[in-house]
Amino acid sequence: MTATVMQASAADNKRPFDGKDAKLVLAHLLVAFTALLLGGVAGVLQGLVRGGMIELPSEIGYYQILTAHGVLMALIFTTFFIIGFLYAGVSKTMGGKLLGVVSRMGWAGYVLMTVGTILGTIMILANEATVLYTFYAPLKANPFFYIALVFVVVGSWISGYGIFTQYRYWRRTHKGSVSPLFGFMAVATMLVWQIATIGVAITVLFQFIPWSFGWVEKINIMISRTLFWYFGHPLVYFWLMPAYMCWYICIPKIIGGKIFSDSMARLSFVLFILFSIPVGFHHQLMEPGIAPVWKYIQVVLTFMVVIPSLMTAFAMFATFEQTGRAKGARGLFGWLKTLPWGDVRFFAPFMGMLVFIPAGAGGIINASNQMNAMVHNTLWVTGHFHLTVATTVALTFFGVAYWLIPHVLGKQLTPRMNRLGIIQTIIWLIGMFFMSGSMHTVGLFGSPRRTAYTTYGDHPDAVFWMPYHVAMAIGGTILFIGVILMFCNMIALMRAPKGDEKTAAEFPIGETADAAEPTPKWIERWGVWVGVLVVLILFAYTVPFGDMLVNPAPGSKPWVTW
Amino acid sequence: MSRDRSDKEKDTLKGTFTSVMLLGGFIALSWLGVFILFINR
Ligand code: HEM
Ligand SMILES: [Cu+2]
Repeated sequence: MTATVMQASAADNKRPFDGKDAKLVLAHLLVAFTALLLGGVAGVLQGLVRGGMIELPSEIGYYQILTAHGVLMALIFTTFFIIGFLYAGVSKTMGGKLLGVVSRMGWAGYVLMTVGTILGTIMILANEATVLYTFYAPLKANPFFYIALVFVVVGSWISGYGIFTQYRYWRRTHKGSVSPLFGFMAVATMLVWQIATIGVAITVLFQFIPWSFGWVEKINIMISRTLFWYFGHPLVYFWLMPAYMCWYICIPKIIGGKIFSDSMARLSFVLFILFSIPVGFHHQLMEPGIAPVWKYIQVVLTFMVVIPSLMTAFAMFATFEQTGRAKGARGLFGWLKTLPWGDVRFFAPFMGMLVFIPAGAGGIINASNQMNAMVHNTLWVTGHFHLTVATTVALTFFGVAYWLIPHVLGKQLTPRMNRLGIIQTIIWLIGMFFMSGSMHTVGLFGSPRRTAYTTYGDHPDAVFWMPYHVAMAIGGTILFIGVILMFCNMIALMRAPKGDEKTAAEFPIGETADAAEPTPKWIERWGVWVGVLVVLILFAYTVPFGDMLVNPAPGSKPWVTW
Repeated sequence: MSRDRSDKEKDTLKGTFTSVMLLGGFIALSWLGVFILFINR
C-alpha cells in the first residue's frame, strides 16, 4: 500500500519560522558553538604540545585539556547542534510550530543538558575529572562528573520525547499520509539515541556513581567498557544521521534539484538504525575477555553498514547528476560543473561528503580485525575521526548554520556572509589536510594517540615521528583559525540584516523527483524495526555479556593518576 | 531520433554509476594498501 508524501512547497520553505521556536533553536546553537570554541582552544594547545612547540603551565595537564576537548567537541557541540537542528526541522515540516508541550520538553531538555555541561566543564577545569571523554575505569573522576553526564543524557532523552510527541501528533492529524521525510529521519535519529544511551545510563548509574562515591569498592572494567561501546558506536551514527538529513533533504533543494528517492532515503535510515547498535565490539577487538567468535559476529554486522552508506553515496551522486542533466549538462561528468560551487550552503556540506570517502575507507580498515591490531590506539584513529566527525559532520553542520540561523530569525544570508563561509570551509579543509593527514601517516608508523609530548628518551622511532607531529601542530593552528572564524560567523549570522519574503534565508526542504516510486507505508512501522533491532542486540550481546557477568574478572579499585 | 537521443542523455545515470564504481575501487585499494602493510610487518 502506498500513500502520498506531503510535499514541501517553495512557499513553505520561505514561510517565516515560528518566533518562539526560533529561541529554542538558537539557544541550542549558541551552546554548540561555544563548546566548539572552547574545545578548539584545547585542540590547538594539544597540537602545539605534541609538536614540541609549547609547554603547558604546570597547573594545566595535557590529559586535562584532552578531556575537555573530547567532551566539548564530541559530546556537547554535536548533541546541542543536532537537537537544535532537529527541533527546527520538526517545527518547520510538521505543523509550522511546536506544540506547547513539545516546546516545554525541548526547553526542559535544554536546561538539563546545559546544567550538565556546565557542571562537567567545571569538574574538568578543576582537575577533578581527567578521565578523557571515554571515562574508562579504573580512572576515577569526581562523582559530580558522572552526575553531570546523567544531566546531559536525561536532558537529551526529554528532548527526544518532544520530537516523538510532535511526530505522533502529526501522524494522528494526517491519517493515511506518509510523514514528512525530515520528521521520519528525526525520529529515526532520536530512536538510535534513546536505545544507545541505555548503555551509558546503566554503567554510569550502577557502576561509576556508586564506585566513585566509595559506596562500593570495586568496578568491573570489562562490563563498563562493553556498556560504553554499546553506546559509543551508535553515538557516531547519532552524529552522522543529522548530517545525512542535510544531504538527503536540504542539498537537493539548494542545488535546484529533487530528492532522488524518498523511499530509498528512508530505507537507508532504517538500516542505520538496525546496524549501528549491535556492533560495539569493533572498538574492543584488542581486548581480552571476549570470545573471538562474538567479535567476529559483531564485525560482520559492522560491515552491513556499508550497504546504507553506499546507498547514500549513490543517492547523492544521482541527485547531482539528475539535477545537472535537467539543466542541460552533457557527457559523463558534465553535471559536476552545474553544481553551485559558490554557495556555502552547498559547498561546505559537499566538502564534508567528499571527505567522507577517505573517512569511510579508513573506517573499513579500522573494523578489519588484523588491521585494527596495527592502527589501534595510534594517531591513525585520531586522524580517522577528525575526518568523520570533525570534518564530514562538522562541515555539514556549519553549512546548515549558514541558512538555519538567518532563517529562524527572518534574516538574510548576505553575499558577504556567504563568502566568509566559503573561506571558513577552505581554511578547515587545509588545516584538516595537514592535521589528519599527518595523524594517519604517523599512526601507521606507530605513534600513539592520547600521549603528551615525549621522544621516549630520543628513541629513533619516536624522533622520526616528530616532523609529522609538527605538521599536526601547524594543521591544528590553521583549524583553530577556522574555529574562531566560524564562531564569528555565527555571531554575524545572528546580527544579519532583516529579510522580507524574497530576501530572507529559506529552510531548504527538497521535493521528491516525479519519477520516484511512491513511499510504501510499511516503512513507518517503527515497532517492527525496533523489534528486529532488539533481536539483533540480543543476538550480538547476550552470550558474551552473560559471560562477563557469570565469570567476572576481579574488579578494580579507583585510580586517580593525575 | 535526435529528440530520443537528447532524452536519453537527460535521464542517464552513467556518471553516477562511474562515480560509485570509482568510490568502491578507492575503498578496495585503501584497504589493500593497509593490508599489505600489515602482511609485511
Ligand atoms: C581546532 C580544531 C581541532 C584541533 C586543533 C584538534 C586537535 C586534536 C588533537 C591534536 C587530538 C589528539 C590528541 C591526542 O590523542 O594526544 C584531538 C583529539 C580528539 N579530537 Fe580534536 N581537534 C579539533 C577539532 C575537533 C572537532 C571539531 C571534534 C569533534 C567534533 C574533535 C574531536 C576529538 C576527539 C573525540 C578526540 C579524542 C580525544 C581523546 O582521545 O580522548 N576535534 N584533537
Ligand atoms: Cu564504531
